[in-house]
Amino acid sequence: MTYAQITLPRLLLSLGLIAVAVALSRRSRLGLERDLVWGAVRGAAQLIAIGYVLLLLFSHERPLWVLLLLGVMLVAAGATAARRVEHGPPRAVLFPRAIAAVGAGTLVAVVPVFAGVVPLHPWYEARYLVPISGMMLSNAMNVVAQVFERIFASARVEADQIEALLALGATPRQALERQVRSTLRAALLPTINGLLTVGLVALPGMMTGQIVSGTAPEQAVRYQIVILYQLVAVAAVAGLAAVAFARRLLFTSRAQLVLPGTQA
Amino acid sequence: MTSALEGRDLVVLRAGRRILDGASILVQPGESVAIQGPSGSGKSTLARTLASLLEPDAGTVLLGERDARAIPPVEFRTRVAFLAQQPAMFEGSVLANLAAGPRLHGKSLDDAGAGALIQAVGLDEETLAREARTLSGGEKQRVALARALANAPEVLLLDEPTAALDPEAGERIVALLRELRTRGLSIILVTHVEAHARALRGTLYRCERGRILAGA
Repeated sequence: MTYAQITLPRLLLSLGLIAVAVALSRRSRLGLERDLVWGAVRGAAQLIAIGYVLLLLFSHERPLWVLLLLGVMLVAAGATAARRVEHGPPRAVLFPRAIAAVGAGTLVAVVPVFAGVVPLHPWYEARYLVPISGMMLSNAMNVVAQVFERIFASARVEADQIEALLALGATPRQALERQVRSTLRAALLPTINGLLTVGLVALPGMMTGQIVSGTAPEQAVRYQIVILYQLVAVAAVAGLAAVAFARRLLFTSRAQLVLPGTQA
Repeated sequence: MTSALEGRDLVVLRAGRRILDGASILVQPGESVAIQGPSGSGKSTLARTLASLLEPDAGTVLLGERDARAIPPVEFRTRVAFLAQQPAMFEGSVLANLAAGPRLHGKSLDDAGAGALIQAVGLDEETLAREARTLSGGEKQRVALARALANAPEVLLLDEPTAALDPEAGERIVALLRELRTRGLSIILVTHVEAHARALRGTLYRCERGRILAGA
Protein backbone atom coordinates (compact mmCIF):
# COMPACT_ATOMS: atom_id res chain seq x y z
CA MET A 1 0.00 0.00 0.00
CA THR A 2 1.31 3.43 -0.87
CA TYR A 3 0.48 6.83 0.56
CA ALA A 4 0.20 10.26 -1.06
CA GLN A 5 3.63 11.90 -1.00
CA ILE A 6 3.88 15.52 0.22
CA THR A 7 6.35 17.28 -2.05
CA LEU A 8 8.12 20.42 -0.84
CA PRO A 9 6.00 22.84 -2.94
CA ARG A 10 2.86 21.17 -1.56
CA LEU A 11 4.22 21.50 1.99
CA LEU A 12 4.77 25.22 1.39
CA LEU A 13 1.19 25.46 0.16
CA SER A 14 0.01 24.43 3.64
CA LEU A 15 1.55 27.64 4.97
CA GLY A 16 -1.57 29.27 3.57
CA LEU A 17 -3.37 27.94 6.65
CA ILE A 18 -1.09 29.99 8.88
CA ALA A 19 -1.70 32.97 6.59
CA VAL A 20 -5.45 32.62 7.27
CA ALA A 21 -4.84 32.79 11.04
CA VAL A 22 -2.42 35.71 10.64
CA ALA A 23 -4.95 37.61 8.53
CA LEU A 24 -7.67 37.00 11.11
CA SER A 25 -5.36 38.08 13.94
CA ARG A 26 -4.51 41.31 12.12
CA ARG A 27 -8.13 42.03 11.28
CA SER A 28 -9.27 41.46 14.88
CA ARG A 29 -6.20 43.27 16.26
CA LEU A 30 -5.22 40.29 18.43
CA GLY A 31 -1.54 41.10 18.06
CA LEU A 32 -0.73 37.41 17.62
CA GLU A 33 0.82 37.64 14.14
CA ARG A 34 4.40 37.44 15.34
CA ASP A 35 3.65 34.49 17.65
CA LEU A 36 1.82 32.67 14.87
CA VAL A 37 4.63 33.09 12.37
CA TRP A 38 7.31 32.24 14.92
CA GLY A 39 5.30 29.21 16.08
CA ALA A 40 4.83 28.00 12.52
CA VAL A 41 8.52 28.37 11.68
CA ARG A 42 9.76 26.91 14.93
CA GLY A 43 7.30 23.99 14.88
CA ALA A 44 8.26 23.13 11.31
CA ALA A 45 11.97 23.45 12.05
CA GLN A 46 11.73 21.20 15.11
CA LEU A 47 9.76 18.58 13.21
CA ILE A 48 12.09 18.64 10.20
CA ALA A 49 15.05 18.37 12.56
CA ILE A 50 13.57 15.40 14.43
CA GLY A 51 12.77 13.86 11.02
CA TYR A 52 16.45 13.94 10.11
CA VAL A 53 17.45 12.78 13.58
CA LEU A 54 15.12 9.79 13.23
CA LEU A 55 16.43 9.08 9.76
CA LEU A 56 19.96 9.07 11.14
CA LEU A 57 18.93 7.02 14.13
CA PHE A 58 17.19 4.39 12.01
CA SER A 59 20.27 3.96 9.87
CA HIS A 60 22.63 3.82 12.89
CA GLU A 61 20.40 2.15 15.44
CA ARG A 62 22.53 1.82 18.57
CA PRO A 63 21.25 1.63 22.17
CA LEU A 64 23.36 4.62 23.18
CA TRP A 65 21.98 6.90 20.45
CA VAL A 66 18.38 5.89 21.14
CA LEU A 67 18.79 6.45 24.88
CA LEU A 68 20.56 9.75 24.26
CA LEU A 69 17.67 11.02 22.17
CA LEU A 70 15.17 9.90 24.80
CA GLY A 71 17.31 11.68 27.40
CA VAL A 72 17.24 14.93 25.44
CA MET A 73 13.47 14.64 25.09
CA LEU A 74 13.12 14.03 28.84
CA VAL A 75 15.23 17.08 29.71
CA ALA A 76 13.22 19.27 27.33
CA ALA A 77 9.96 17.99 28.86
CA GLY A 78 11.26 18.63 32.39
CA ALA A 79 12.41 22.13 31.53
CA THR A 80 9.03 22.97 30.02
CA ALA A 81 7.08 21.55 32.99
CA ALA A 82 9.17 23.61 35.43
CA ARG A 83 8.77 26.82 33.48
CA ARG A 84 6.83 29.81 34.73
CA VAL A 85 5.25 28.33 37.84
CA GLU A 86 3.63 31.32 39.47
CA HIS A 87 3.90 31.35 43.27
CA GLY A 88 6.14 28.31 43.02
CA PRO A 89 9.77 27.74 43.95
CA PRO A 90 12.46 28.91 41.52
CA ARG A 91 12.86 27.02 38.26
CA ALA A 92 16.19 25.58 39.37
CA VAL A 93 14.44 23.88 42.29
CA LEU A 94 11.55 22.53 40.22
CA PHE A 95 13.56 21.41 37.19
CA PRO A 96 15.19 18.24 38.63
CA ARG A 97 11.90 17.30 40.29
CA ALA A 98 10.01 17.80 37.05
CA ILE A 99 12.46 15.52 35.28
CA ALA A 100 12.04 12.87 37.96
CA ALA A 101 8.23 13.06 37.85
CA VAL A 102 8.04 13.05 34.04
CA GLY A 103 10.59 10.24 33.89
CA ALA A 104 8.80 8.13 36.51
CA GLY A 105 5.45 8.46 34.72
CA THR A 106 6.98 7.62 31.35
CA LEU A 107 8.93 4.63 32.63
CA VAL A 108 5.90 3.08 34.30
CA ALA A 109 3.91 3.30 31.06
CA VAL A 110 6.62 2.44 28.56
CA VAL A 111 8.58 -0.42 30.11
CA PRO A 112 5.73 -2.92 30.67
CA VAL A 113 4.16 -2.20 27.27
CA PHE A 114 7.39 -2.76 25.36
CA ALA A 115 8.14 -5.78 27.49
CA GLY A 116 4.80 -7.50 27.06
CA VAL A 117 2.37 -5.84 24.65
CA VAL A 118 4.47 -4.54 21.76
CA PRO A 119 7.68 -6.58 21.98
CA LEU A 120 10.64 -4.82 20.38
CA HIS A 121 13.41 -6.45 18.33
CA PRO A 122 15.95 -5.35 19.39
CA TRP A 123 14.81 -3.78 22.68
CA TYR A 124 15.96 -0.34 21.51
CA GLU A 125 14.00 -0.40 18.23
CA ALA A 126 13.79 3.34 17.62
CA ARG A 127 10.83 3.19 15.22
CA TYR A 128 8.56 2.31 18.19
CA LEU A 129 10.52 3.45 21.20
CA VAL A 130 11.05 7.09 20.18
CA PRO A 131 7.60 8.17 18.98
CA ILE A 132 5.65 6.31 21.67
CA SER A 133 7.95 7.51 24.46
CA GLY A 134 7.59 11.01 23.02
CA MET A 135 3.82 10.86 23.38
CA MET A 136 4.18 9.69 26.97
CA LEU A 137 6.77 12.35 27.83
CA SER A 138 4.52 15.02 26.39
CA ASN A 139 1.51 13.93 28.43
CA ALA A 140 3.60 13.61 31.59
CA MET A 141 5.01 17.09 30.95
CA ASN A 142 1.54 18.61 30.73
CA VAL A 143 0.33 16.85 33.86
CA VAL A 144 3.41 17.81 35.89
CA ALA A 145 3.22 21.44 34.74
CA GLN A 146 -0.41 21.59 35.76
CA VAL A 147 0.21 19.97 39.14
CA PHE A 148 3.02 22.42 39.97
CA GLU A 149 0.98 25.37 38.77
CA ARG A 150 -2.12 24.49 40.79
CA ILE A 151 -0.69 23.03 43.99
CA PHE A 152 1.52 26.02 44.88
CA ALA A 153 -1.22 28.50 43.97
CA SER A 154 -3.88 26.70 46.03
CA ALA A 155 -1.51 26.25 48.99
CA ARG A 156 -1.03 30.02 48.97
CA VAL A 157 -4.73 30.83 48.67
CA GLU A 158 -5.73 28.28 51.32
CA ALA A 159 -2.74 28.67 53.63
CA ASP A 160 -5.00 29.49 56.61
CA GLN A 161 -6.93 26.23 56.11
CA ILE A 162 -3.73 24.22 55.86
CA GLU A 163 -2.27 25.84 58.97
CA ALA A 164 -5.52 25.36 60.88
CA LEU A 165 -5.27 21.64 60.13
CA LEU A 166 -1.57 21.53 61.08
CA ALA A 167 -2.43 23.30 64.33
CA LEU A 168 -4.91 20.52 65.09
CA GLY A 169 -2.14 17.97 64.69
CA ALA A 170 -2.56 17.05 61.02
CA THR A 171 0.39 15.58 59.14
CA PRO A 172 1.43 17.49 56.00
CA ARG A 173 -0.27 14.79 53.95
CA GLN A 174 -3.55 15.28 55.82
CA ALA A 175 -3.27 19.07 55.80
CA LEU A 176 -2.77 19.23 52.03
CA GLU A 177 -5.23 16.48 51.14
CA ARG A 178 -7.97 18.74 49.76
CA GLN A 179 -5.59 20.70 47.55
CA VAL A 180 -3.94 17.51 46.31
CA ARG A 181 -7.28 15.98 45.42
CA SER A 182 -8.51 18.96 43.39
CA THR A 183 -5.11 19.39 41.73
CA LEU A 184 -4.91 15.76 40.63
CA ARG A 185 -8.50 15.74 39.41
CA ALA A 186 -7.84 18.80 37.26
CA ALA A 187 -4.57 17.43 35.95
CA LEU A 188 -6.02 14.03 35.03
CA LEU A 189 -9.22 15.37 33.51
CA PRO A 190 -7.86 16.02 29.99
CA THR A 191 -6.51 12.46 29.79
CA ILE A 192 -9.80 11.01 31.04
CA ASN A 193 -11.77 13.21 28.62
CA GLY A 194 -9.48 11.89 25.90
CA LEU A 195 -10.59 8.35 26.76
CA LEU A 196 -14.25 9.32 26.69
CA THR A 197 -14.26 11.21 23.41
CA VAL A 198 -11.78 9.20 21.39
CA GLY A 199 -13.35 7.96 18.16
CA LEU A 200 -16.38 10.18 18.71
CA VAL A 201 -14.75 13.57 18.40
CA ALA A 202 -11.21 12.96 17.33
CA LEU A 203 -9.30 10.19 15.61
CA PRO A 204 -6.01 10.30 17.46
CA GLY A 205 -2.85 11.31 15.66
CA MET A 206 -0.99 8.04 15.95
CA MET A 207 -3.90 5.99 14.64
CA THR A 208 -4.52 8.46 11.83
CA GLY A 209 -0.85 8.36 10.92
CA GLN A 210 -0.75 4.58 10.85
CA ILE A 211 -3.87 4.35 8.71
CA VAL A 212 -2.57 7.01 6.30
CA SER A 213 0.72 5.15 5.94
CA GLY A 214 -1.02 1.88 5.22
CA THR A 215 -1.45 -0.04 8.48
CA ALA A 216 -4.64 -2.10 8.67
CA PRO A 217 -7.20 0.00 10.60
CA GLU A 218 -7.88 -2.84 13.03
CA GLN A 219 -4.17 -2.97 14.01
CA ALA A 220 -3.96 0.83 14.14
CA VAL A 221 -6.92 0.82 16.51
CA ARG A 222 -5.27 -1.72 18.79
CA TYR A 223 -2.12 0.38 18.94
CA GLN A 224 -4.21 3.40 19.78
CA ILE A 225 -5.99 1.61 22.62
CA VAL A 226 -2.64 0.64 24.13
CA ILE A 227 -1.44 4.23 23.78
CA LEU A 228 -4.54 5.58 25.49
CA TYR A 229 -4.13 3.25 28.44
CA GLN A 230 -0.46 4.17 28.63
CA LEU A 231 -1.38 7.85 28.72
CA VAL A 232 -3.66 7.21 31.70
CA ALA A 233 -0.87 5.48 33.64
CA VAL A 234 1.57 8.23 32.69
CA ALA A 235 -0.78 10.93 33.93
CA ALA A 236 -1.49 9.16 37.21
CA VAL A 237 2.11 8.32 38.06
CA ALA A 238 3.62 11.64 36.91
CA GLY A 239 0.86 13.55 38.72
CA LEU A 240 1.36 11.68 41.99
CA ALA A 241 5.12 12.04 41.78
CA ALA A 242 4.82 15.80 41.16
CA VAL A 243 2.46 16.10 44.14
CA ALA A 244 4.92 14.23 46.36
CA PHE A 245 7.72 16.60 45.33
CA ALA A 246 5.52 19.66 45.83
CA ARG A 247 4.51 18.47 49.29
CA ARG A 248 8.15 18.16 50.31
CA LEU A 249 8.77 21.69 49.09
CA LEU A 250 5.74 23.07 50.94
CA PHE A 251 6.55 21.65 54.38
CA THR A 252 9.63 21.53 56.56
CA SER A 253 10.74 18.34 58.28
CA ARG A 254 8.93 19.72 61.35
CA ALA A 255 5.64 19.85 59.40
CA GLN A 256 5.63 23.65 59.05
CA LEU A 257 4.08 25.22 55.98
CA VAL A 258 6.56 27.26 53.94
CA LEU A 259 5.13 29.10 50.97
CA PRO A 260 7.79 29.60 48.30
CA GLY A 261 8.80 33.20 47.93
CA THR A 262 7.59 34.33 51.35
CA GLN A 263 10.63 33.34 53.38
CA ALA A 264 13.81 35.32 53.65
CA MET B 1 7.45 22.96 89.28
CA THR B 2 7.41 21.72 85.67
CA SER B 3 6.68 24.39 83.13
CA ALA B 4 3.91 23.73 80.62
CA LEU B 5 5.40 25.67 77.73
CA GLU B 6 8.58 27.67 77.51
CA GLY B 7 10.27 29.73 74.83
CA ARG B 8 13.97 30.28 75.49
CA ASP B 9 15.95 33.03 73.70
CA LEU B 10 13.89 32.76 70.55
CA VAL B 11 15.20 34.49 67.44
CA VAL B 12 13.29 34.70 64.17
CA LEU B 13 14.83 36.48 61.19
CA ARG B 14 12.87 37.64 58.15
CA ALA B 15 14.47 39.48 55.26
CA GLY B 16 17.40 40.41 57.50
CA ARG B 17 15.14 41.79 60.25
CA ARG B 18 15.05 40.29 63.74
CA ILE B 19 11.31 39.77 64.27
CA LEU B 20 12.06 37.93 67.49
CA ASP B 21 15.23 39.07 69.17
CA GLY B 22 15.89 36.70 72.06
CA ALA B 23 12.32 36.41 73.35
CA SER B 24 11.84 34.21 76.41
CA ILE B 25 8.67 33.24 78.21
CA LEU B 26 7.70 30.54 80.67
CA VAL B 27 4.15 29.41 81.35
CA GLN B 28 3.28 27.14 84.28
CA PRO B 29 0.62 24.43 84.06
CA GLY B 30 -2.77 26.02 84.63
CA GLU B 31 -1.35 29.53 84.36
CA SER B 32 -2.91 32.27 82.27
CA VAL B 33 -0.56 34.60 80.49
CA ALA B 34 -1.36 37.64 78.40
CA ILE B 35 1.25 39.07 76.04
CA GLN B 36 0.43 42.56 74.99
CA GLY B 37 2.21 44.70 72.49
CA PRO B 38 1.75 46.99 69.50
CA SER B 39 1.44 45.55 66.01
CA GLY B 40 4.80 44.71 64.53
CA SER B 41 6.32 43.99 67.94
CA GLY B 42 6.72 40.29 67.10
CA LYS B 43 4.00 38.89 69.34
CA SER B 44 2.19 36.97 66.57
CA THR B 45 5.50 35.52 65.41
CA LEU B 46 6.15 34.50 69.02
CA ALA B 47 2.76 32.77 69.23
CA ARG B 48 3.37 30.90 65.95
CA THR B 49 6.87 29.92 67.07
CA LEU B 50 5.60 28.64 70.43
CA ALA B 51 2.96 26.65 68.51
CA SER B 52 5.77 25.12 66.39
CA LEU B 53 4.16 26.46 63.22
CA LEU B 54 7.30 28.48 62.65
CA GLU B 55 10.86 27.27 63.17
CA PRO B 56 13.00 29.73 65.16
CA ASP B 57 16.40 30.65 63.71
CA ALA B 58 17.80 30.33 67.22
CA GLY B 59 16.51 29.42 70.65
CA THR B 60 14.39 26.59 71.95
CA VAL B 61 10.75 25.82 72.60
CA LEU B 62 10.16 23.39 75.45
CA LEU B 63 6.97 21.51 76.25
CA GLY B 64 6.96 19.99 79.71
CA GLU B 65 10.70 20.74 79.76
CA ARG B 66 11.27 18.60 76.66
CA ASP B 67 12.77 20.21 73.59
CA ALA B 68 9.99 20.62 71.02
CA ARG B 69 12.29 19.31 68.32
CA ALA B 70 12.36 15.97 70.12
CA ILE B 71 8.55 15.74 70.11
CA PRO B 72 6.80 14.61 66.91
CA PRO B 73 4.93 17.64 65.44
CA VAL B 74 1.60 15.80 65.50
CA GLU B 75 1.96 15.10 69.22
CA PHE B 76 3.19 18.60 70.00
CA ARG B 77 0.27 20.27 68.24
CA THR B 78 -2.25 17.99 69.83
CA ARG B 79 -0.93 19.05 73.24
CA VAL B 80 -0.50 22.73 72.31
CA ALA B 81 -3.52 24.16 70.52
CA PHE B 82 -3.13 27.31 68.43
CA LEU B 83 -5.88 29.65 67.33
CA ALA B 84 -5.24 32.16 64.57
CA GLN B 85 -6.65 35.67 64.57
CA GLN B 86 -9.38 34.73 62.11
CA PRO B 87 -9.60 30.96 62.36
CA ALA B 88 -10.37 29.18 59.11
CA MET B 89 -13.53 27.13 59.23
CA PHE B 90 -13.45 23.83 57.38
CA GLU B 91 -16.14 22.99 54.87
CA GLY B 92 -19.23 21.45 56.43
CA SER B 93 -21.15 21.75 59.66
CA VAL B 94 -19.94 22.99 63.03
CA LEU B 95 -20.11 19.37 64.20
CA ALA B 96 -17.79 18.32 61.36
CA ASN B 97 -15.41 21.09 62.41
CA LEU B 98 -15.40 19.94 66.02
CA ALA B 99 -14.73 16.37 64.93
CA ALA B 100 -11.83 17.40 62.67
CA GLY B 101 -9.10 17.15 65.32
CA PRO B 102 -10.06 13.73 66.71
CA ARG B 103 -10.62 12.41 63.16
CA LEU B 104 -7.08 13.38 62.16
CA HIS B 105 -5.90 11.05 64.92
CA GLY B 106 -8.21 8.22 63.95
CA LYS B 107 -10.75 8.92 66.71
CA SER B 108 -14.37 9.97 66.58
CA LEU B 109 -16.32 12.54 68.53
CA ASP B 110 -19.66 11.35 69.88
CA ASP B 111 -22.77 13.53 70.15
CA ALA B 112 -22.44 13.94 73.90
CA GLY B 113 -18.82 15.05 73.50
CA ALA B 114 -19.74 17.53 70.78
CA GLY B 115 -22.61 18.87 72.89
CA ALA B 116 -20.34 19.38 75.90
CA LEU B 117 -17.72 21.17 73.77
CA ILE B 118 -20.14 23.56 72.12
CA GLN B 119 -21.70 24.41 75.48
CA ALA B 120 -18.27 24.97 77.00
CA VAL B 121 -17.71 27.79 74.53
CA GLY B 122 -21.11 29.32 75.24
CA LEU B 123 -23.01 28.22 72.14
CA ASP B 124 -26.16 26.10 72.11
CA GLU B 125 -26.36 22.62 70.64
CA GLU B 126 -28.38 23.78 67.66
CA THR B 127 -25.24 25.46 66.38
CA LEU B 128 -23.76 22.01 65.70
CA ALA B 129 -25.89 21.56 62.60
CA ARG B 130 -25.10 24.96 61.12
CA GLU B 131 -22.75 25.49 58.20
CA ALA B 132 -19.50 26.62 59.87
CA ARG B 133 -18.55 29.12 57.18
CA THR B 134 -21.78 31.08 57.58
CA LEU B 135 -21.15 31.90 61.27
CA SER B 136 -20.32 35.38 62.56
CA GLY B 137 -16.73 36.28 63.52
CA GLY B 138 -17.39 35.78 67.24
CA GLU B 139 -19.12 32.45 66.64
CA LYS B 140 -16.24 31.28 64.47
CA GLN B 141 -13.81 32.09 67.29
CA ARG B 142 -15.88 30.05 69.68
CA VAL B 143 -16.19 27.14 67.28
CA ALA B 144 -12.43 27.27 66.67
CA LEU B 145 -11.94 27.21 70.44
CA ALA B 146 -14.25 24.20 70.82
CA ARG B 147 -12.51 22.54 67.86
CA ALA B 148 -9.14 23.01 69.57
CA LEU B 149 -10.52 21.73 72.91
CA ALA B 150 -11.71 18.53 71.19
CA ASN B 151 -8.06 17.46 71.10
CA ALA B 152 -7.88 17.89 74.91
CA PRO B 153 -4.78 20.11 74.77
CA GLU B 154 -2.63 21.10 77.75
CA VAL B 155 -1.86 24.57 76.43
CA LEU B 156 -4.08 26.99 74.52
CA LEU B 157 -2.29 29.63 72.44
CA LEU B 158 -4.46 32.39 71.03
CA ASP B 159 -3.20 34.95 68.55
CA GLU B 160 -5.33 38.11 68.69
CA PRO B 161 -8.61 36.24 69.10
CA THR B 162 -10.48 39.50 69.76
CA ALA B 163 -8.95 41.68 67.05
CA ALA B 164 -11.58 41.01 64.41
CA LEU B 165 -14.51 41.18 66.84
CA ASP B 166 -16.61 44.05 68.17
CA PRO B 167 -15.65 45.07 71.74
CA GLU B 168 -18.51 43.20 73.37
CA ALA B 169 -17.85 39.92 71.54
CA GLY B 170 -14.14 40.34 72.35
CA GLU B 171 -14.85 40.71 76.06
CA ARG B 172 -17.03 37.61 76.02
CA ILE B 173 -14.18 35.61 74.47
CA VAL B 174 -11.82 36.74 77.25
CA ALA B 175 -14.42 35.84 79.88
CA LEU B 176 -14.67 32.42 78.27
CA LEU B 177 -10.88 32.01 78.47
CA ARG B 178 -11.02 32.82 82.21
CA GLU B 179 -13.55 30.03 82.62
CA LEU B 180 -11.45 27.57 80.67
CA ARG B 181 -8.52 28.19 82.96
CA THR B 182 -10.45 26.53 85.75
CA ARG B 183 -10.19 23.30 83.74
CA GLY B 184 -6.45 23.27 84.34
CA LEU B 185 -5.48 24.52 80.90
CA SER B 186 -2.50 26.82 80.45
CA ILE B 187 -3.58 29.80 78.39
CA ILE B 188 -1.43 32.21 76.43
CA LEU B 189 -3.31 35.16 75.02
CA VAL B 190 -1.57 37.42 72.54
CA THR B 191 -3.34 40.73 72.05
CA HIS B 192 -2.77 44.37 71.27
CA VAL B 193 -5.78 45.35 73.39
CA GLU B 194 -4.58 46.22 76.88
CA ALA B 195 -8.05 45.89 78.41
CA HIS B 196 -8.33 42.30 77.15
CA ALA B 197 -4.84 41.45 78.40
CA ARG B 198 -5.80 42.71 81.87
CA ALA B 199 -9.25 41.11 81.78
CA LEU B 200 -7.65 37.67 81.55
CA ARG B 201 -6.46 38.29 85.14
CA GLY B 202 -3.28 36.30 84.63
CA THR B 203 0.39 37.12 84.37
CA LEU B 204 1.05 40.11 82.11
CA TYR B 205 3.94 40.47 79.70
CA ARG B 206 4.80 43.09 77.14
CA CYS B 207 6.24 42.35 73.75
CA GLU B 208 8.54 45.06 72.40
CA ARG B 209 10.84 44.85 69.42
CA GLY B 210 10.93 41.08 69.50
CA ARG B 211 11.61 40.77 73.22
CA ILE B 212 9.40 39.90 76.17
CA LEU B 213 9.29 42.22 79.17
CA ALA B 214 7.56 41.53 82.47
CA GLY B 215 4.43 43.56 83.29
CA ALA B 216 2.17 45.46 80.95
